[in-house]
Amino acid sequence: MSIVVDQLTRIYNPDTDFPITAVNNVSLEVKPGEFVAVMGPSGSGKTTLLNMLGGIDRPSSGTVRIDDSDITALGDKELISFRRDNIGFIFQDFSLLPVLTAKENVEFVMQLQGRSHVECATRSLQLLNDVGLGDRLNCVPGKLSGGQQQRVAVARALAPKPKFVLADEPTANLDAVTTRDLLDIMQQLNEKEGVTFIFSTHDPRVIERARRVIVFEDGIIKEDRVQ
Amino acid sequence: MTPVFMAKMAWRNIWRQKRRTLITSVAIALAMLLCLFMRSMQEGSYSNNLDNATRFYSGYLQLQHPDFAEHSSIDKLLPADAAFAARIARIEGVSQMVPRIESMALGAFNDKSKGVVVMGVAPQPENAYSGLAERVKLGRYFNADDEQAVLVGGHLATYFGLKPGDQLTLYGQGYHGNTAAGIFTVAGVVNFPIKQLDGRIVYLPLQTAQDFFVCGEQVTAWVLHGDDVFHIDALEKSARETMGPKVRVRNWADISPELSQQIDMDRVSGQFLVFVLYGIVGFGLFATIVMMTLERQREFAVMLATGMPRRKLQGLLLLESLLIAVTGMALGLLVTLPVLGWFYYHPIPLSGDLAMMMVEMGWEPVIPFSLEPKLFGVHMLAILGILALCSFYPLIRIGRMRVMQSLRGGL
Repeated sequence: MSIVVDQLTRIYNPDTDFPITAVNNVSLEVKPGEFVAVMGPSGSGKTTLLNMLGGIDRPSSGTVRIDDSDITALGDKELISFRRDNIGFIFQDFSLLPVLTAKENVEFVMQLQGRSHVECATRSLQLLNDVGLGDRLNCVPGKLSGGQQQRVAVARALAPKPKFVLADEPTANLDAVTTRDLLDIMQQLNEKEGVTFIFSTHDPRVIERARRVIVFEDGIIKEDRVQ
Repeated sequence: MTPVFMAKMAWRNIWRQKRRTLITSVAIALAMLLCLFMRSMQEGSYSNNLDNATRFYSGYLQLQHPDFAEHSSIDKLLPADAAFAARIARIEGVSQMVPRIESMALGAFNDKSKGVVVMGVAPQPENAYSGLAERVKLGRYFNADDEQAVLVGGHLATYFGLKPGDQLTLYGQGYHGNTAAGIFTVAGVVNFPIKQLDGRIVYLPLQTAQDFFVCGEQVTAWVLHGDDVFHIDALEKSARETMGPKVRVRNWADISPELSQQIDMDRVSGQFLVFVLYGIVGFGLFATIVMMTLERQREFAVMLATGMPRRKLQGLLLLESLLIAVTGMALGLLVTLPVLGWFYYHPIPLSGDLAMMMVEMGWEPVIPFSLEPKLFGVHMLAILGILALCSFYPLIRIGRMRVMQSLRGGL
């Protein structure tokens, strides 16, 4: 599965006196299994780019093609289904559902996919073991540390077997040791599950682990390098 | 997503803000208690009064000749034979049935005369139905079906100066142009609970009345009673089906519209108070549901981003609101049922003039309560209706929610 971005532009407040061009005519391609970091200072447009890749924001112009699907042409309902089956999200603040246990949080999207109870249970158990939380299955997020919550978020993102995972500054709220552990886990899962990971970050610890780094500035790609 | 998973999420979500959920549920429960207490007392009183009042005059239902209501003519009669009575007995829900002849005549005693209502009643069944014998304040009740005696209303007796043993002359029109005339001995004076009729009523034994009106084994009406005031509609339906088009079925409200209007007016005042109470509770529920929506915008956005369809998210919010309402209703029932149950079996005793008046009418001086399931059903439906109204705005809000803006913390 590849992601092809073609002349993507996002302008906020286009009809006002102060339009803001967050992403400006960006084109790029991400190949299956890549471990990509999109880096840049705050306000550079990296989160906007990720949001458009994930179909939670619509571009002002340009297209995002995932395999054969132009997700910018999909309607609201189709886009929700597409996200559910193809994209995993990891948010900066973890964004776990507070009333669900770690296991239930991981099962959540699988439940939406209509997977069987056994399949949900087996995969959530396996993923939580993979991220080192096999002994925290029945803990609600409030009983987990920040690092543990982000690991649950990683497991949740991978649970529906997505084609790629978008992570918006996943280590921003984590300390050095936790960041290292989380990156190890994500790298292992990237290799084990073959899932493409795309991060937005300005954390050098993440950047040095990425195999490809896209440097973003003022809404345009300044540099795109393979490490 | 399985319904169990959804229900689990909804249930846990409503207890995230325990105090808010409890306050909202208790508000619903209290409103239910107050509304049901008031309405149960009202309906219990209506039911009791209606049962008492209808036994004296209209019954729950009357079977009449199809044209009797328009003409009130002694020529428009129904059979009073055993075969007809057997047909009536087939009506589902009938607990009692009594035949009556009702017509007008001129009453005269000494130098006074007055238009009177002549009511022919079968002495034993009538007494079993309306307790007429207990209302005889002077003299005695009828001894036989064919006795040449009358009972007169208290006010009428005062007007004529009648006392037991006096002879009252009745003169009127009989069946098919016959002359109805007779002299009858006053057996007793009765207290009739409806004042207007007390000054005009003259009771005759049924057979004597049939002879007086020369109408043979016929009556102007069969008066029917059922088990419960709340089931009059079903009784009426069954009566129409059983008796067919050649018999007119009239209910008590049709025969005594004043009583019906009086109850309706009183009921409206009660319902107004119920609307006010539920209106206040409705705003509380609305505030809770709106808060439940607004404070979780980001959470909802995450759910939408990860692939939860809007319809399912709306369903989740609706389920949460429903659970709060159901919790409130369950609490309400838990508190209300024992309270109403107590008053159902221990009605509030009346005192003073009102009690005296009721005793004079032969009624028990109490305020009875109703435990009719329909009352509870209506109130629970009302709460669910309020819930549906309150949910409207939050559901639209979710329908229009922009995922990205909400993820950024915007509304």
